Amino acid sequence: MAVCAFENVRICGVKTVVPEHCIDIDDELQYFENNPKKLARQKKMNGYGRRYIADDKTTVTDMACSAANMLLGEMGVAKDEIDLLVFVNQKPDFPEPCDACVAHGRLGLRRDCTSLDINLGCSGYAHALMTAHALMASGGYSRALLLAGDLCGRINDQTNRKVAPVFGDAASATLLRYEPGCGRKAWFVTGTDGSGFDKIIHPAGGMSLPMGEDVLAVKVKDAAGNVFDLLTGQMKGEDVFNFTMEVGPQLIKDTMAAAGWTNDDVDLFSIHQANKQIVEMVIDRAGIPADKAPIETFTKYANNSTNSVVTVICDQGYGHELKNVVLASFGIGLSWGGAAVDLSGMYNGGVATYKTPEDALDRKGRISYWIKHFGGEVVS
Amino acid sequence: MTKEEFLVQMQDVLQTDETLTEETVLSDLAEWDSLSMMATMAFFDKNFGVKIGLKEFKEIDTMAGLIAKAGI
Repeated sequence: MAVCAFENVRICGVKTVVPEHCIDIDDELQYFENNPKKLARQKKMNGYGRRYIADDKTTVTDMACSAANMLLGEMGVAKDEIDLLVFVNQKPDFPEPCDACVAHGRLGLRRDCTSLDINLGCSGYAHALMTAHALMASGGYSRALLLAGDLCGRINDQTNRKVAPVFGDAASATLLRYEPGCGRKAWFVTGTDGSGFDKIIHPAGGMSLPMGEDVLAVKVKDAAGNVFDLLTGQMKGEDVFNFTMEVGPQLIKDTMAAAGWTNDDVDLFSIHQANKQIVEMVIDRAGIPADKAPIETFTKYANNSTNSVVTVICDQGYGHELKNVVLASFGIGLSWGGAAVDLSGMYNGGVATYKTPEDALDRKGRISYWIKHFGGEVVS
Repeated sequence: MTKEEFLVQMQDVLQTDETLTEETVLSDLAEWDSLSMMATMAFFDKNFGVKIGLKEFKEIDTMAGLIAKAGI
């Protein structure tokens, strides 16, 4: 595994937002053959609870920019102080340009602000945090905004019970500052198994298999009766589970070893909230104390993909002074990333609600917008 | 852990109302799904230090087979 460390970068603040629309598993009894016992069993074993799902007017950039505006406002930081923007997500607003540029314009950041996207899911935040640290440690930047998020909930067909109850939507903003001599040091451990790129994948919609009527027409039913298509995320559950058991616990051990920390040194282990059972097994096999590695965030917000480890910090760390925190995330790619960071004095804005603006465009409105934008006329 | 204790604990691991015996056929249990298999893996790892892969469950038919795998 690749290990690196950076000094003189302070993580100053973080804020997560989730959409308004909440689905509670208790309201989905129909998917459990209307049998309360079956529902109770899934709740107990998988940890199913609430999940927040973005509406079809909401993008990850909308949510992340909202988180950024709240965070900067609450912290009293002016936007023109930001000179680096890193945006990690997997469901961009557009095939091109990248979301970092869209967010840069939306937030009204400086022209001499570097803006770039990182396309990673579960392991993405650790990678993006590492990238922001690396760039800042060069001394070339003073303040960085790290935006993160994913819309695994919005994209799912809620009747596909294999994936729907697992995922919820969330996005966040993290503020970092370059501070020579501050004594801060952060460690990162990352790795990849690209031979498993097809274990969690959206098969269609990219240049490999562009959107088309033939793709839209495909509806497949698996052995359990779950209907799926090629435009939403699919997963080889057993393979991903085996990967997680192999990589997750070792990642935590390696990240702690890199920082030279023992269990006693760590205030919070923010583990990617895949589901309750998986997180419990990772915690157990890593040999870390369960009371420092919460799994309640999964039950409150579900698996937030890229934002999962941030949601844990904003949810479980809210109102608590945290010092040493270990992040451990693993999943799509297949990819994994761990971080050992000092969050002393960090502003934790918790988890807020993102409200869709009343004037947000719907699908029809967006089509009209782009036609007008390029001064065109509809010919077909 | 005795065989009897194992059977009682497995009832909780699988979250089933069925009373389990050594003769219980796993595939006859409505609750013997991937969720239960993962819970069983965790239970074996924690209590017996036995690591089972999901594929190995396909070769185990009854609770007696699981008891043997646990080394009781």
